[in-house]
Amino acid sequence: MNEYKEETTSIKGNWPLIHYRWKSETVKLMANFLEAFKEKKVLGLKCPCCGLVYTPPKPFCRCLCRPEEWVEVSDEGVVTTFTFSGAWSFEGMLEGEGESRIIVGVKLDGADTMFLCMLEGSDPEEVNVGMRVRIRWPEAPEGKIGDMMIVERAT
Amino acid sequence: MQDVAVVGIGLSKHVSKRRDVNIAELVYEAVSAAYEDTGLSPHDIGAVITGNMPAFEGVNLPELWGAGHWGAYNKPLLRITTGGTTGGSVVHGAFYAVASGIFDAVIAIAFEKQSDGDTTMGLNTVALADIAPMLLYGADPTLLISMGGGAIGAVAYQATSYMKSSGCTTHHLDKVAAMCRDNAAKNPYAHLQQPGITPEEVAKTKMMEYPLRFGHCCPATDGACAMIITSGEKAKKITDCPAYIKSCTSCSDEGAVFGLYGGGTANVDPCEQEGCKIAAKKAYELAGIKDPSREIDVAEPYAPFANQLLMFYERLLLCEEGGAPAVLDSGSMYLDGDLPVCPSGGVISTNAIGASAMERVAECAMQIMGKAGEHQVKKEVHNAVAHGWGGALNLIVVAVLGDTPRG
Repeated sequence: MNEYKEETTSIKGNWPLIHYRWKSETVKLMANFLEAFKEKKVLGLKCPCCGLVYTPPKPFCRCLCRPEEWVEVSDEGVVTTFTFSGAWSFEGMLEGEGESRIIVGVKLDGADTMFLCMLEGSDPEEVNVGMRVRIRWPEAPEGKIGDMMIVERAT
Repeated sequence: MQDVAVVGIGLSKHVSKRRDVNIAELVYEAVSAAYEDTGLSPHDIGAVITGNMPAFEGVNLPELWGAGHWGAYNKPLLRITTGGTTGGSVVHGAFYAVASGIFDAVIAIAFEKQSDGDTTMGLNTVALADIAPMLLYGADPTLLISMGGGAIGAVAYQATSYMKSSGCTTHHLDKVAAMCRDNAAKNPYAHLQQPGITPEEVAKTKMMEYPLRFGHCCPATDGACAMIITSGEKAKKITDCPAYIKSCTSCSDEGAVFGLYGGGTANVDPCEQEGCKIAAKKAYELAGIKDPSREIDVAEPYAPFANQLLMFYERLLLCEEGGAPAVLDSGSMYLDGDLPVCPSGGVISTNAIGASAMERVAECAMQIMGKAGEHQVKKEVHNAVAHGWGGALNLIVVAVLGDTPRG
């Protein structure tokens, strides 16, 4: 076949990321972090040079030292940012199918970094930056990241 | 170190799907336009610095199979790929090549033909270092997906945080989008052409991911940009008004693992963007600029989303933190203002990803050379700042350009 095409075509990609299981240094740090969940405790890793507390832990600090001291932080904290997923956000787009959720960035008291959680038990109108929240622990935490991914209003 | 200047610029036509040309032909449009702009030919060029995000097209090493269209046969060639900053990093490569004295003239080329491949899949591979550990820790994949996908999934958090700390309202976002799209309508190389669009019309577009509406977001574009960059000595022989690159800086912010939440330094705050402040401070210092808010005449921050234009205006030290919404309200950012921002229409109007950060530099150069046509700003331009944001949300590039060499 010898065909000159007038137009280009699009090719869809397919890379099943969900099957990736990486070798990752943070897994060793995370084992300690996740284990503490079983006692409903949240740990942070403190940098010996600048004092920043990383929750979840990281192997390198922004100041290039290696944080190594484990400290306990609160399971209560403050909302630093938020958005909505599902029908509250995407309005009829494909991604909008499924459950509506309030997603909040949370900085726990005693930690210097934030992570994303689902806020439950609150209306979209009441969420705001600065709102106090606490982790809603499962009855018997299994020591996985999902144990700390649901928060509720603290006051 | 020798002086470095932009002497010629070429841009392809930019639209969402360039079905009429393949990757090499798209690049050729920009390359041939840059040569035409200068009267030079590939024979006058010492080396080729090129860049795109191959993961977005699904085509690797395009610069090698397209070497003829790049004008690269028998020449040194280097590809640079750094995400959204790619085009800015390519300018760095060209700057180093000439400033070092190794070459007197090089061509810098950056492009993206998103319609050939699957940009979302490409972005997923960039985010892999964040996604994979979360899965290892037992995060529910459906929860992860609902946290947001693509670039907007990161920027939404940055927007909410920025709006709270600066007092920026959704009306400010609408105004930014309308200003940029109106500028774009004056730029024949811009993708979205929406002349006279009002903030009220932007406010009526559908919500994409709170707080960002469809009108606050960039399109996906096919396009290419090329610039001929020479030594200061050579530049004077080629053009009466070269645009000197006074400084090129960059800063790598917090790394990817667990940097899921928008790329602020150490994830302390997604709108902190400490890396931008560090890179900007260094760029002004090297360029001999003491007070950027007074000495910079035009700014081209890399802002695919409306909130980022204001946030990066501040992080580029053009006003105090939290001051950008008031600067917008003052009218200073418009084409006839004191410090016009994104006269090209910005990334929010045209986003051929690999090319975008170079097109910021190209626009600054055109403004200095007085070649911007209908979107030429009213004031005289002596100094301009171009910026790029990319990497895995964590790399910043800044370039300061001027109508004179650095002192």
